[in-house]
Amino acid sequence: MALFEIRDLSFFYPESEKPALHGINFSITQGEFLVICGKSGCGKTTLLKHFKTVMTPYGVRTGEIYFEGQLLEKVSQRQQASDIGYVLQSPDNQIVTDKVWHELAFGVENLGYDQQTIRLRVAEMASYFGIQNWFSKRVEELSGGQKQILNLASVMAMQPKVLVLDEPTSQLDPIAASDFLATIQKINTELGTTIILIEHRLEEVFPMADKVLVLEDGGQLMFDSPRKVGPALADNDLFLAMPSPVQIYNGSGQEGTCPLTVCEGRNWLEQHYKKKQTETPQKKDNIKKKHVKKQEEKETIIDAKELWFRYEKTGQDVVKDLSFRVKKGELFCILGGNGTGKTTTLSLLSGIRKPYRGKIFLEGKDIRKIKDKEMFRHFMGVLPQNPQSLFVTDSVLGELEEMAADLQAGKTEKEQKIQQVIQDTQIGHLLKMHPYDLSGGEQQRAALAKVLLLEPQILLLDEPTKGLDGFYKKKLAEIFAGLKKRGTTILMVSHDIEFCAAYGDTCAMFFNGSIVTSKKARDFFTGNSFYTTAANRMARNIFPDAVTVKDVIERCRTVRQQG
Amino acid sequence: MEQDNFSGYHPVIEFTYFIFVIAITMFMMHPVFLGFSFAGGAVYYIYLKRKKALKTMLWLIFPVLILSTLLNPLFNHEGATILGYFKTGNPLTLESIIYGLVSGVMIVSVLNWFSCYQCVMTSDKFIYLFGKIIPAMSLIFSMVLRFVPKFKAQIQKVSDAQKCVGRDVTNGNVLQRAKHGMKILSVMITWALENSVETADSMRSRGYGLRGRNNFSIYRFDSRDTRLMCIMAVLGGIVFSGLILKKVTVLYYPLIEINEPGIIAVLTYTAYGILCFLPFILDIMEDVKWHYLRSGI
Repeated sequence: MALFEIRDLSFFYPESEKPALHGINFSITQGEFLVICGKSGCGKTTLLKHFKTVMTPYGVRTGEIYFEGQLLEKVSQRQQASDIGYVLQSPDNQIVTDKVWHELAFGVENLGYDQQTIRLRVAEMASYFGIQNWFSKRVEELSGGQKQILNLASVMAMQPKVLVLDEPTSQLDPIAASDFLATIQKINTELGTTIILIEHRLEEVFPMADKVLVLEDGGQLMFDSPRKVGPALADNDLFLAMPSPVQIYNGSGQEGTCPLTVCEGRNWLEQHYKKKQTETPQKKDNIKKKHVKKQEEKETIIDAKELWFRYEKTGQDVVKDLSFRVKKGELFCILGGNGTGKTTTLSLLSGIRKPYRGKIFLEGKDIRKIKDKEMFRHFMGVLPQNPQSLFVTDSVLGELEEMAADLQAGKTEKEQKIQQVIQDTQIGHLLKMHPYDLSGGEQQRAALAKVLLLEPQILLLDEPTKGLDGFYKKKLAEIFAGLKKRGTTILMVSHDIEFCAAYGDTCAMFFNGSIVTSKKARDFFTGNSFYTTAANRMARNIFPDAVTVKDVIERCRTVRQQG
Repeated sequence: MEQDNFSGYHPVIEFTYFIFVIAITMFMMHPVFLGFSFAGGAVYYIYLKRKKALKTMLWLIFPVLILSTLLNPLFNHEGATILGYFKTGNPLTLESIIYGLVSGVMIVSVLNWFSCYQCVMTSDKFIYLFGKIIPAMSLIFSMVLRFVPKFKAQIQKVSDAQKCVGRDVTNGNVLQRAKHGMKILSVMITWALENSVETADSMRSRGYGLRGRNNFSIYRFDSRDTRLMCIMAVLGGIVFSGLILKKVTVLYYPLIEINEPGIIAVLTYTAYGILCFLPFILDIMEDVKWHYLRSGI
C-alpha cells in the first residue's frame, strides 16, 4: 500500500489568480527516498506543507492526499504528529527549549508518554545520533550542524513513519551538510523510514534517491528514478542544478547509461573517451601565458602583511602570519574548512577587528589611517554571511532608498543609481516585498544591491553562494562579471569549490590561520587531488587539466569530432 | 561546569536545603547560629569556586562588615551601655555597634548562600521545580532562556553588518547613532516575530497542543535522596524544637542577653552546625571515597 498518495492536487493562495500548485499526481511507498527539486519559488515548500494538516497553508485546495489509504484530514492529529515528522530549514528557529535533553524530549512530551518511555526514547535517540557527549549542554553552545542533527533526533524520537525535510542543509557548511545527509540516508536504510526531501545540493542526494519529483511553476514536470530524470532534463534550466556527472553526460551527447556519482562518471568516461583521447598541449600553454601576462599588469589593491589576530589575550591565534595580495579587478576566492579563520580575516580587512601584529594596506594606504567615512563611502563594501542582518526596513525599495539617503548626490542622480543597481542585481520584481519574505537567493541579491549603492571598489563577500541553487549561482556569477568589468575587486570567502573553480580568477587555500597556497584558479584545482571540483576528480585520468564541467564537456566534444 | 557531590542530589532537596538555611540565617540573629551559617556558607562557596570565591569574599566581607558596624550606631541609639555622645546629642551605644556587626555577618552569610545557590541550582533544576507546580510555566521559562541568547547573538550580527555599511551605533554623530540604534532595534523586533512563526510551526508539527502533555525530567528521587532527606528532617526538627522551646534566644537591646548553654541549647547548636556544613561534609566524604578508590586501583 502506498504511504502517501497525492491525487490531482492543486492549490491557490488566498487572493491569488495563479495556482501555487496544479496537477500533482504521485505516490510513494514505505521506505522510499523521494527528492523534490525545482527552481526557487516553484512551489516545493508549498507542496511539502500539504503533507501534514497543521502545516497546510490557508488557501483553496482541490484534489486528495491519502496517508496509508486514508484521507489525510481524517487521520487524527495525534497520529499525524507522531507518524509524520518535519525538519525545516533553519537550524535555530526550530529549537524550542534551552537544553539539548529537553529539546529531544519535547515531541515525546507532547504525545503524553510516561516518564519511563520518554527516558527510553530520549536515550535511544541520543545514542543513535551520537548526541550523548553534548546531551546536557545548552542549545546555543552547539554548532549549526549539531543543531540540525538535534532537530532531526527530536523528530525521530517520536518514531515517525515518514520524514519530511525542507532544505535542511541550506544553512550548513558543506561538511556538516554531508554529515547530515549521510544521517538521513542511514535512517532510510537502517530504519526503513520514508524520506521526502527538498534539496538543492543534488550532487549528494541524487545518488541516494529512489525517486525524483521535478516541479516547474507549480506543476509536476517529472516523477521518475534519478537515472531517468537526469538525462531528461538536458534542455531545462534545472540542468544547472544536476550533479556534475549528469551535466557532463548530458552536455557531451548522452552516450551509454547516465552516471550519478563521481566514481560512476569516471568509469563512464574511461569507457567512452579513453581510446579516442588525444592531448592538445600547445593550445593549453598559450592560454596560460596569455593569462600570466595580463595579470602582471594589474596593480595590487589589497596587501596584507604578516597578520596575527586572536580574540582574547589568553586565547589561541585565529589568524597566524597571514600575507597575501589581491590584484585590482579580480575575483579572489579564499577556500578552506570551517573555523580556520576565514571570516575573521574578512573582518580584519574591513577594519571591524584589528590585528595585533602586521599591517594591511588598501590601495597602498594603511588601514589604520583610513577614516570610517572614507572606508564605507565608495571604497569598501561588505556582504555578511547572513544577508538578512543587513535589512532594516520593510521593503526592498525602502532598503535601497535608506542606503541612498546618505549619498552625496542630487535627487535624480540618486534615482539613477538606485535604478542602476536594481538592473545590475536583477531585483526589479522584488521591490515592494518585505526583505524577510524573499528566498535565500533573492535576499542575497537584495543585500548585494544595498551594498553596491555605496559603489565600493573592493567588495568583501562571506559565503555568497550558501544556500543558493545552481540557477541563482549562475546569476550571481553574471553580476560579479559585470562588476569586475567596471574595475571592482571582489574577495570572497567560500566553501563552494565548484563556484570558485568556474568563476574565480585566483584561488587561495586557507588552513590553520593562514593561506597555504594561492594560485590561478585552474592551476590551483589541477594541483589538488581531494580539494577540487567533482568534474576534475571525475576526469583527471583522461583530461588532467579540465577543472569545470564546461571544460570536460568541451574536451569530450573535441574528442568526438576528432574520432 | 564541574559538579560537586551535593549538586548531584534531587532538586527538591537542594531547594529545601537552601530555603531552610537562608531563612534561618535571615531571621535568627543568634551569634552562634550566624557563626555556623557564615562559616558553612563560606567554606562551601570556596569549595565550589576555589580562588575566585576567596577573591569575591574578601572584596565583599570587609566592606560590608565595616559599613554595617559604622552605620548602625549612627542611626540606632538604643542600648544601655553608653560609650559617648554624637554632636547632635544622640548617644553612641555598645549594643548598637555589636548589632551592626552581627547584621553585617548576617548579610554576608546570606550573600554567600545565594552565591552557592546560583552554582548549584542551575536553570533546568529551577524549571523542573516550577514545572511541578505550574506545568505550562516550565516550558515558557525554558523558551525564554532559549530566546534571550539567540536574540543577543542576532543583535551582534546585525550590528556587525550595519557597521560594514557605516550604520552601526558606533558610527556618526550622536543623532545618527541614535537613529541607527533605533533602526537596529526595530528590525530586531521584526526578526523576532518572523522567526517565531517558524518556531511555532516546529512546535505544532511536533504535536504541541495535543491533550495530555507530560513533562519529562532527567531527575529521579533515589534512595540516596531519601536518606539525605531523613537526615535533614531530623536535624531540622531538632533546630526547630530548640527554637520553639525558647532554649535558644538572643536579645540585643537594651542589654545583650544570650540564653544559657544548656543541654538542649548545645544540641540545637550542634544540629544547626551540622546542617550548615552538610554540603561541604558530603563533598569531602565523596572526595575521600574517591581517594581510596583510586589508590585501590
